Amino acid sequence: MSPSQQPTSLNNPAYLKNQFAHRFIRALNNLHHTKTPPHHNYKMYNRSTRVKIAANTAMASVVGSRRAWSRAVLWKIRKLRSRKRVNCHHQEKVSLKRRNPKPKTEDFNNPFGDSSQESKLRELVPGGETLDAVCLMGETANYIKCLVAQVEVMKTLVDLYNPT
Amino acid sequence: MEKHKIFTREGNGIPQSWNPIFGMGIQGSELNPTTSDQLPNSFFKPNCESSVDQRDLFESALSSIVSSPVNSHPGIPIPGADSIVLRELIGRLGSICNSNEISPPSRINSANNSCYNTPLNSPPKLNLSNTTDHQIQGNYPIPGNHQLPPAPFPADPGFVERAAARFSIFGAKNESFKTGGSQFIRIPEENKKLMTELGDSIEEPSVSETGAGIKGQSNGRKRKGIPNTTRGKGKETQSSTTTISAKDDKAVTEVEKEKSEAKRSKSNEKSTEPPKDYIHVRARRGQATDSHSLAERVRREKISERMKFLQDLVPGCNKVTGKAVMLDEIINYVQSLQRQVEFLSMKLATVNPRMDVSMEALLSKDMFRPLVSLPNSVNPFDASVQPFPYGYQSQTNGMISDGPENQFSMNSLMTTMQHNSVMKPSHIDGFGEASTFWENDLQSIVKMAIGQDQPQGIHGQMKVEL
Repeated sequence: MSPSQQPTSLNNPAYLKNQFAHRFIRALNNLHHTKTPPHHNYKMYNRSTRVKIAANTAMASVVGSRRAWSRAVLWKIRKLRSRKRVNCHHQEKVSLKRRNPKPKTEDFNNPFGDSSQESKLRELVPGGETLDAVCLMGETANYIKCLVAQVEVMKTLVDLYNPT
Repeated sequence: MEKHKIFTREGNGIPQSWNPIFGMGIQGSELNPTTSDQLPNSFFKPNCESSVDQRDLFESALSSIVSSPVNSHPGIPIPGADSIVLRELIGRLGSICNSNEISPPSRINSANNSCYNTPLNSPPKLNLSNTTDHQIQGNYPIPGNHQLPPAPFPADPGFVERAAARFSIFGAKNESFKTGGSQFIRIPEENKKLMTELGDSIEEPSVSETGAGIKGQSNGRKRKGIPNTTRGKGKETQSSTTTISAKDDKAVTEVEKEKSEAKRSKSNEKSTEPPKDYIHVRARRGQATDSHSLAERVRREKISERMKFLQDLVPGCNKVTGKAVMLDEIINYVQSLQRQVEFLSMKLATVNPRMDVSMEALLSKDMFRPLVSLPNSVNPFDASVQPFPYGYQSQTNGMISDGPENQFSMNSLMTTMQHNSVMKPSHIDGFGEASTFWENDLQSIVKMAIGQDQPQGIHGQMKVEL
């Protein structure tokens, strides 16, 4: 999780962006070539939601299984897709097994000043519910890095498509 | 020697077969000298081709050694027996797979490398030969014959004890870890840097990794600081102490003492964390040695380390001190990034007809990406993400206002770049070359972009939005 341990290719943000751009553009092309939007889920019907999901999926797939958050994202997408196929209208909350146990006595061991912050962070970072505080921080760092790359690429794309 | 280099560089390149051997509970301090004499001579197979056979033989022989003294294990190791047994063992280790005339250190390394090169899957590795290599560099003669070498180790009891301690490290697998007055905290290692600081980077990862093989033990094992020395005033060779066993208590305290008090300061506590490894932490001088507090302290240090890293990531957090504020900033930043993604995806979704643009055109534009990202950081290929202050700061103004500015600067940049038409068809992954190639042009381009952005006058800075 420390930067020294990441593979050098992923350390390169340009590489991240490039890979993400490839996958994202491919997904976008697929999206827009499918004329009939799926009606399984109203939420999914929204095109912007689909684009967002495509973007997140593309980013997570670039990172692959190396990170807990990317694994969580991919897993959720897979669940979503399988549920779509089953034509299930209910979206259960994805419950993941706890990878590392949370500290039992929160007050005693909580290095965070405010536990609500930690829970907020867990909500934000995908897959953060099952991580302990230390891993959560590492995952957050990586997640932020990838998010930044993602945002940059998407901005470039938007400018590409809307050269006004 | 190359093999030596390979061995030391990897540190963990030791074949896995060592692990079962030493995982069986070799306790060098307890090995019965008589049984060691009974080691079969079939040990010595000069050629390492039949590595598997050798391994099995070795394992069986060692297991016989190990199993017998395990039962009759006294609480206190016998130094005399140690040295003899250790010498023999090390000699045998070195003599196995002796094929050519190699220098002693590399011999030992090659013994480990060539014989047991079949890749195996279990993570923990033995660095025994590493440690012994350190010890006996220059002391070990080339055993030209295939007999058991006389093992002319220095008769230094300190060395023997150190080696015994290291043997005991791997012997701890099946032992209980409750010790009388000494405990270790087993903590996943974080920084290898810390280890190198303490002078023995090679030993550390593998030594601690053997502890990983002993993961079955609970995490509650801790080692309290032991200010008093028991024996063995050797130099500090081992930075991270590894797992201990009840029987190896003395041996491990031995290892502890080897860290010279001079070199080991109050900051002896390690919070290094290679994944899935556990290291032992000592209580600092003048601090609580309670196991809970030790663990908590280590945890806190890890978290603060991560927070520092996050501070670099999140823009504008350099002045912020304190975890709570920092966390708030982080949360806000993540939320803003996610909102940005949503907003941009919304925009992309509305851009309907353009979606049919061919991939080639888009990919060609992708070449500009490293160029675009360059101005925001000194080293775009740095480990940490580039600071993203502009976009973030503009968030406060609102996303809508940010959009057109970005587009304007981006478009101006793109057009200028297209005009320059230095479209280098670089490889997709060859961004290193591309970026350096573009760097010279970047300055001019950026200036042009800034010039065009002047009427916007956002921050008066290089607002080369990405």
